[in-house]
Amino acid sequence: MGATEPRDHVDRLAGDPRVHLIGVRHHSPVLAAAMPAILTAFRPETVLVELPAEMQPWVRWLAAEGTVTPVALAADGAFYPFADFSPELAAVRWAREHGVPVDCCDLPMVDPAWRSREPAVISAGPGLVPGGPGLDAGRPGLDSGEPGLDSGEPGLGEIVRASLTGRDGDELWDRWIEAGAPGSSPEAVRRAALAAGWALRHDARRHGIDPLDLRREAWMRGRIAAATGRVAVVVGAFHAPALLDAEALVEALVEARGGEAPVVSLVPYTFDLLDSRSGYPAGIRDPRWQQAVYENGADPERIRLATHTIAVEVTRELRNRGWPAGPGEAAEVARLAGDLAALRSLPTPSRGELVEALQSVLAQGAPAGVGRGVARAMENVLVGQRRGRLAAGTPIGGLTPAVEKELQRLKLPGPGKAAQRIRLDPLRSPTDRARELAIRRLEVCGAAYGDAGETGPAVGGETLTTTWRVQWTPPVDAALAVAGVHGVTLEQAAAGMLATRRRREHRAGGPTAEQALTGLARSAACGLGAAVQDRLSDVRRAVTHDGTVEQIVTALGLVRRIGRGHHPGLVEPVVGADGVLEEMRAAAVAAVSGLAGSQRVEDARALHDLVRDADEAGQVIRLGHAVRELATNGSPLMRGAAAALGVQLGQVEPGEFGQLLASWAGMDSGDRLRGALSVAGAMLQAGGEVLEPLLAAVERMADDDFVRRLPGLRDGFDVLSPADRDRLLATVRERHGGFEDRLVADPVVLAGWLAADRAGMAAVRAVGLVPEGGVVSPLTAAGDVVAAGDVVAAGDLSAVQRWRLLLGREKEQLSGGQQRLATALDELYGTGRGEGSHTVDRGGGGTEAPYPRVRDWLTDLEALFGSDVRDEVIARAAERGRVDAILAAEPERVRPSVDLLHAVLSLAGGLPEARLAKLRPLVARLTRDLTRQLARRIRPALTGIGTPRTTRRRTARLDLAATVRRNLHTVRAGDDGRPRIVPERPVFRSPGRRSVDWQVILLVDVSGSMEESTIWAAMTASVLAGVPSLRTHFVTFSTEVVDLTDRVDDPLALLLGISVGGGTHIAAGMRYARQITLVPARTLVVTISDFEEGFPIGDLLGSVRALVDDGVTLLGCASLDDRGAPRYSTGVASQLVGAGMPVAALSPLELARWIGEKVR
Amino acid sequence: MTAAVRQIDPPEHRFADELAFLAGADAGRRPPGWRMTPRNVVTFVAGSAGVPVDGPGGRRVIAPKFVGERALVERCVVTLAGERGLLLVGEPGTAKSMLSELLSAAICGTSALAVQGTAGTSEDQLRYGWNYALLLAAGPSEESLVPSPVLTAMRDGAVARVEEITRCLPEVQDALVSIMSERRVSVPELAGRDGAVSYAAPGFCLIATANLRDRGVSEMSAALKRRFNFEVVPPIADFDAEVALVTRQAKASVERGGADFAVDEAVLDTLVTAFRDLRTGRSAEGWEVERPSSVMSTAEAVAVAASIGLSAAYLPGPDPLSLLPGHLLGVVRKDDPADAERLLAYWDGALRRRAEAGARMWRQLWEHRDVLRD
Repeated sequence: MGATEPRDHVDRLAGDPRVHLIGVRHHSPVLAAAMPAILTAFRPETVLVELPAEMQPWVRWLAAEGTVTPVALAADGAFYPFADFSPELAAVRWAREHGVPVDCCDLPMVDPAWRSREPAVISAGPGLVPGGPGLDAGRPGLDSGEPGLDSGEPGLGEIVRASLTGRDGDELWDRWIEAGAPGSSPEAVRRAALAAGWALRHDARRHGIDPLDLRREAWMRGRIAAATGRVAVVVGAFHAPALLDAEALVEALVEARGGEAPVVSLVPYTFDLLDSRSGYPAGIRDPRWQQAVYENGADPERIRLATHTIAVEVTRELRNRGWPAGPGEAAEVARLAGDLAALRSLPTPSRGELVEALQSVLAQGAPAGVGRGVARAMENVLVGQRRGRLAAGTPIGGLTPAVEKELQRLKLPGPGKAAQRIRLDPLRSPTDRARELAIRRLEVCGAAYGDAGETGPAVGGETLTTTWRVQWTPPVDAALAVAGVHGVTLEQAAAGMLATRRRREHRAGGPTAEQALTGLARSAACGLGAAVQDRLSDVRRAVTHDGTVEQIVTALGLVRRIGRGHHPGLVEPVVGADGVLEEMRAAAVAAVSGLAGSQRVEDARALHDLVRDADEAGQVIRLGHAVRELATNGSPLMRGAAAALGVQLGQVEPGEFGQLLASWAGMDSGDRLRGALSVAGAMLQAGGEVLEPLLAAVERMADDDFVRRLPGLRDGFDVLSPADRDRLLATVRERHGGFEDRLVADPVVLAGWLAADRAGMAAVRAVGLVPEGGVVSPLTAAGDVVAAGDVVAAGDLSAVQRWRLLLGREKEQLSGGQQRLATALDELYGTGRGEGSHTVDRGGGGTEAPYPRVRDWLTDLEALFGSDVRDEVIARAAERGRVDAILAAEPERVRPSVDLLHAVLSLAGGLPEARLAKLRPLVARLTRDLTRQLARRIRPALTGIGTPRTTRRRTARLDLAATVRRNLHTVRAGDDGRPRIVPERPVFRSPGRRSVDWQVILLVDVSGSMEESTIWAAMTASVLAGVPSLRTHFVTFSTEVVDLTDRVDDPLALLLGISVGGGTHIAAGMRYARQITLVPARTLVVTISDFEEGFPIGDLLGSVRALVDDGVTLLGCASLDDRGAPRYSTGVASQLVGAGMPVAALSPLELARWIGEKVR
Repeated sequence: MTAAVRQIDPPEHRFADELAFLAGADAGRRPPGWRMTPRNVVTFVAGSAGVPVDGPGGRRVIAPKFVGERALVERCVVTLAGERGLLLVGEPGTAKSMLSELLSAAICGTSALAVQGTAGTSEDQLRYGWNYALLLAAGPSEESLVPSPVLTAMRDGAVARVEEITRCLPEVQDALVSIMSERRVSVPELAGRDGAVSYAAPGFCLIATANLRDRGVSEMSAALKRRFNFEVVPPIADFDAEVALVTRQAKASVERGGADFAVDEAVLDTLVTAFRDLRTGRSAEGWEVERPSSVMSTAEAVAVAASIGLSAAYLPGPDPLSLLPGHLLGVVRKDDPADAERLLAYWDGALRRRAEAGARMWRQLWEHRDVLRD
């Protein structure tokens, strides 16, 4: 066969006198346009169409007068969409008009051979023309991309490819048939299509042809043989070469093996679903374009005019989206497309030339900015909005009956039945698995059929059984009617609904990490392998690039469960889950650096999980680096956590870490301890060299020292659960051998010692050696022997007592004064959460009542710990939502700090106006003092902003040197022979102040919670507002954008005007900034956010790009505070940097300096 | 006349006979001012795919000079045939300048009418300047006017090239707007005399190149952008072609110093693979790789290959592969400190997986990971 000329083969295929072969691709406008002429010329007595035999009854409805394309024939496992440009439909319509019978000649769907292929592929390569998708991309070796696998020789497809024009990624069929055919005779088009099919088959033979295809071809040969007279056969071009061969398949063979007949129905379809980017099987790119080619009868001149129309529409659409594009561009697109076609010797521009021209002229090589707009505009214009409609009288088929049948089979209540409560065990029982899937899929279709029970599917939980309350409600009918467009079985419909949702997200520029995760979870729950694969790739893209640490951790868990097959419905193993896991881990490691500024214990714990996971996976080099970095540059909390993790990673010796812990115990703030303990609790219980130094440090402290640090320490140990604390306490007690619990000596002897001590003390005091104003011992209250005002001697608190106070346990075993300390702290910290918290009964054996009035508590705190500590405790109390504590504090007595202001403002959001009024004096004082301090620091960076610059505008100050340089071209020889300059373009210096008027737009993220950065931003804004030549705008955004510029002078009004909450929509803020920009080149936009964008990232990049293109100077502040350690999404930030917005963590002073530099 | 040996021979000399051959080859319609038909320009740049072309004095096969998609070249040629501006954008080191030289040599026979864009480029270099001595002596006249390459190209109907246009200051760039829309330059100093206005002859067009990594340095105005068709030139897609290029250039650079280039082919393969992985953000196997923000162009790969070659020649000793991590770190660590971390992630990810799969070179590289620790 290979020895003869290809041309001979085509002649043989095309020239058969009885069997007129018409090789097609399922969607092919040029063939559809040529079809009536081809058929009229041949005058067949029967038309054979490559549709499974079961579709025979539907053919008449397909071609019926009232049917408006696109429509689709749907059956279990296969989907056959039709548009006007489907050659099969053209053939069927011709047959109806000429009264010629149509025969569906493809292998019946009941044949077991169909099941040999995995279901996903059956629906992906619709039985109609597997040759069609083969032409597109499905088969290896057929298209240019993949060279022959088993031989070095290029295949015919490649040889043809090399001689064709177009871009490398274009489909072979498009270049060969669609681009070349317009203007050719119908017979020439038919021959070209047969030649293409023959070449593809020739190549495919090298890899072996699918047995299913061979069987189908044998069946079709049988049908051709059975037909009488002249027949026209409309089949996939790939199959055509095999149909003239001899052997036919015996029908009896099939019937013997036949199973239950599948349900077929005709459903309306849309262009939207027909577009191959929709993820739908058997689609085609840009249906609207294909329709235009068909409608213009594949006439070159009319197609050329269609390109002009489309060019104009795309530019209009683009203009509506806010990008400059007009008739000039449209004309250039049309010219470029036309000339490209001429250069490539094509009769008229094809889709390829049009797309190339549109991108070349309009996209400006900027995928993020206008390029995105062009892509969206093209999609809108080229995909089209057309919807199909069925002819009146078409039998109603479809989803609802199929679902009823399915439910009946599963013994679940159908329409009209009472509600049932069921418990399913999907992992063990196959029936339960099917039930669970049916319920989940109905849920995805929007049908409220099952209600998850109490012990039902916990979010992210690994419960084994699920409980449901199931009932067929009327909304189920409605939802199924809507979902019916996606298919006739529950599986198809669910897959369709999921795919539609995904497509919608894609069109909106997403999916976001959140959407991708939800989609993945739903797809997995529905047991839809293909959807899971799609979503897995979404997750891979969205979560690894834009995900926050929490999302990455969630995704890790979900993907791991899917990979291990813990989802009941997923029968086939999911391909690539391991790869995604691996990438996710890498992304997690990359995101670690974004935690540097975190103040949250949850982040420390997430870090711990990541480290464990990445450690197992071997991602240690970078992780080690990141953790080391955190340990030196992070926030106190992260520093503590990172140091503890360093021990686990083997970077830090346990002893060294122990020393660190001990040194932190001596510091005022408990943050470092909190961080370390949140991840290293278990390490401490083991005791040894990690614990020793800490124990020693706590014991060695003088009593008053200890008491002063007690709140900080208690704060640090607060992260331990009660059970952990008990264990730690046990370790401590072990070390001290229970010294505390029983007296070492006879009580009488002890009393004697005490008396001697006291006498000594009295003697010392008598000679005036005791400093005045020493710390009043809280212990004094314990014994009535000792008078008030006594001074504490170091060592009155034993080690175990100290630990009891630190850990907030065993309060009943403390003496009265110590109990007072413990109670004062318990008031704030409670007794711990987590494991063992039920063992704690509030109050314990304590004799003292808890504080009835907050003021008492505060007084006590001050008496016990001093006023510094009291303020700190108030701030902590505010963080924990103790409004009363704040209200009780006297504004004039607290020491102003951003921490406190932050705590107070976080509370203020949730307060009614009446109580807010009471807070106002406090906030006012804090804000006033802090702003004054800040202003003192940053003013110097902003002075002298009005230094003169050169300008052509006339002012009083001439710049002589610049004027001479600028006017050299006017030099003439004067009368006296000396050169003379005519200063026709004088250059001046701008007057100092006021002439430069810069806009500074502070965009502040107020989603989530009131951040310290927000407070700093407000205060900085008010300082900037005082600088002459700057116009400062203060704009907050969450999902809403609020412009607070009118209050920018007054930080108090600004801060109280901010309302926090909502999602993060940075792009909206950016768009607003673009609106209020007056002179782009003199505008600074400073965005203060954690960059955890909750909306499609592409949109954000586009809006940033738009600002950059305008010439605005952008800066992203991952944080604006004194620490310089931000907590933000590194993935999004790095993409923003790429789009032209540098991101950094700045202090207000640095920000002011930056502004000063830009403005000067 | 004996031509002196040149370091780099411009294409119009190097391919002079091919150009002459193609100019005479096709009698088809050609745009005004063009030396050959658009189809032959494409053939000259992208080669004739091994098929001989008929022409005066026989048939000859035209070798491809630009390694890349033919459709891209076709679009460029059609854009220029419509007398519209062509802007080639792409990562550094993607042969944008070479493509523009080839196109202009084929269209108008010279690639010399070029302006190199820098921050110091002034309007004079895009419009016209003066010979000040002559100006002082004789006043403004046609003789004392110094035309810019762009003005020369306008008068002659040739192709003008502006390299790195985004590095020019925006106000200088905008001088091109009037040239491209009005297609004339007026010289007010010569008002009322000959040459006061220079009009563009048919065939005049402009090719500019711009670097994607220079984004934001001097952003082009929307008005100027609208006057260009944009073509994105991708990096070399073919692995073997890139290895061959790196080997050739590194060898030349080492041998210029008189030393022998003795770096194993496998080492260069490894080097190019690493560069491609980091450049594209996707490994050869399709794994995700975190992309450093530094430029990882072929030119950088050549520099590293040459450095390794030099140290192998002058400081023989360690396994040349052991030098690679350090060099990569040097390439990556340019502006963003996080890039060094991204390189570590590469070691953790793609490289480790390959090492685990047992590839010898990658296993050795994995063993040299200590170089990266700090």
